[in-house]
Amino acid sequence: MALPLYERSTKYFFISLTSFTILIVFMFVLALSLGPAMLSPHKVFQAIFLKPFGYAVNDSVNVIAMLRLSRALASLLCGASLALAGLLMQTITRNPLADPYIFGLSSTALTAIALGIILAPNLMVHKAYVVIVSFLGALTGYALTLSLSKLSGGTSLAMVLAGIAIASLFSGASHILLYLVQQVIKTPYVYLLMGSASTVLLKDLYFLAFPTIILTILSLAFFKPLNAYLYGDEYAKQLGFNPTLVRDFAASIAALLTAITIAFVGIVGFIGLAAPHIARFLTGSDHKFAIPITTLVGALLTLVADIVVKLVSMFAGAVGELPLGVVTAVIGAPFLAYLIIKKVRE
Amino acid sequence: MKIVVNGLEVWYNSTPALKNVSLKVSGGEMTFVIGPNGAGKSTLLKTIASIVKPRAGVIYIDGKLLSSISPKELGKIVAYVEPHISRAIPSTVLEFLLTARYPHHSTLSFATPRQDLEAVEKVSKQLNIEHLLSRRLDQLSSGELQRVLIARALIQNPKALLLDEPAAFLDLRYRLEVLDYVSSIVKVNKVICIVAIHDLYLASLYADKIIVLDYGEVVAAGTPDEVLKEELLEKVYRVKVHIVNINGRRVVIPVEPIERISL
Repeated sequence: MALPLYERSTKYFFISLTSFTILIVFMFVLALSLGPAMLSPHKVFQAIFLKPFGYAVNDSVNVIAMLRLSRALASLLCGASLALAGLLMQTITRNPLADPYIFGLSSTALTAIALGIILAPNLMVHKAYVVIVSFLGALTGYALTLSLSKLSGGTSLAMVLAGIAIASLFSGASHILLYLVQQVIKTPYVYLLMGSASTVLLKDLYFLAFPTIILTILSLAFFKPLNAYLYGDEYAKQLGFNPTLVRDFAASIAALLTAITIAFVGIVGFIGLAAPHIARFLTGSDHKFAIPITTLVGALLTLVADIVVKLVSMFAGAVGELPLGVVTAVIGAPFLAYLIIKKVRE
Repeated sequence: MKIVVNGLEVWYNSTPALKNVSLKVSGGEMTFVIGPNGAGKSTLLKTIASIVKPRAGVIYIDGKLLSSISPKELGKIVAYVEPHISRAIPSTVLEFLLTARYPHHSTLSFATPRQDLEAVEKVSKQLNIEHLLSRRLDQLSSGELQRVLIARALIQNPKALLLDEPAAFLDLRYRLEVLDYVSSIVKVNKVICIVAIHDLYLASLYADKIIVLDYGEVVAAGTPDEVLKEELLEKVYRVKVHIVNINGRRVVIPVEPIERISL
């Protein structure tokens, strides 16, 4: 019974892994083809994936696809890191409602960035400093939400309410600060506030790509302590893992992942909530399987949301674009409502 | 295999939980710790499992000082079955049971060895939880969960098994079956087994040695014949008891409370 069951979950894992990879490749090509100049997905696929094998590609297709590449990659990476951050936060708080946005990490990180731009604008030119400032902001948000929820009893709903209080306070603060910042950097602040992948530059992608990949591998390597931690502090202690160490380690990784996406894309909510639930539904809660699938689901969701952003702006014909965070909120908030109903019923 | 506890003293903030507790437990026998609520039974087990740190006193496991054993090493030696685990994040029984093998592997190794799955298979068959392996932990009844928790400890394959209220939530059949199974494993593998329990009836059936705790102190220790005496139990539990002889064992039957709660 144990052996076939385990083999079945391994099989499900590999099926999910391949189907999500195929879906992501498909959506990725679609994202590159969509835009004011429509490209044939077939040609885009050749330009991106077959070029290394010596495939001759039409130059104009190549150039346009490359221009759109940074945006599509940014959505993928941002989605993957937010989803992983969400999974880690759900594990360390043992709360299925945890998410970097709901727990206020995103807002505090953004507030920190806005403060940084106002106080030391010359430093914030370097993306590395932006990431550090945003990381400190995210860690502060985590600490604030956790201590506030401890004061109010520490139940999983108290945590969500504490998160809402912190998130509202700091999203207000970041609104005000970013309004002031508009005079320093001449971009509409709505994009940072609600997230947009369209402003990411190709050379900044390294800052987004390497940390995401390294932190994913790091979390995956420590899947055993994370698994043991799920069942309680005393349980983890018994298996020889230090629960405080596991918690602090995973919280720092989650804060860093959130900080990176905030620094490049801005606030994109609910991906961290939905992706881990979908992944756990498909492959179970074992982090060995859940971490890779969660990152893929998060990447796919964000990419799809970005495609929706593009389609809406193309067909509605309004000025400018919809922020990415608006679309993910429309997809993700009903999911939160469903989870809350399930949780309160218990 | 032997556990020696000497002059143990444990405090929770400013309340003493254990005072000057000394005892000796050897492998191959079932040691039962009994005593009223708050007597320090769970604290004693948790201190031996190194979950709670003592303020004074020493514990030796097989001649080695407990505080000198690394947490990982300890995970191979001692398994403590707590009555509660967190079930907030849904996970299946199989996923939970497989975590019990972690102390035996390197933290960074990735594969799930076949013998882990075989160990899960064997124990879950014996405890009749095989049909639950694919179920979610939060969908189990209390009695099913209790058997899963005990199975976890046995899969960990420890040299010392510390059971906290193993009979809680179990029906009559599983109370006897589970304790019978544990005691045969203890006898065959010469494992140390310390059971904290409220049910004196079960203690009289399965104990080779009984330790009575009251207000954090050991008030009596020895074989069931030496310890299970009416005066002692009435003084500790504030309950009138009868002791009957069944199959050559002294079986305790509680009759009525000494002080009644008035309306």
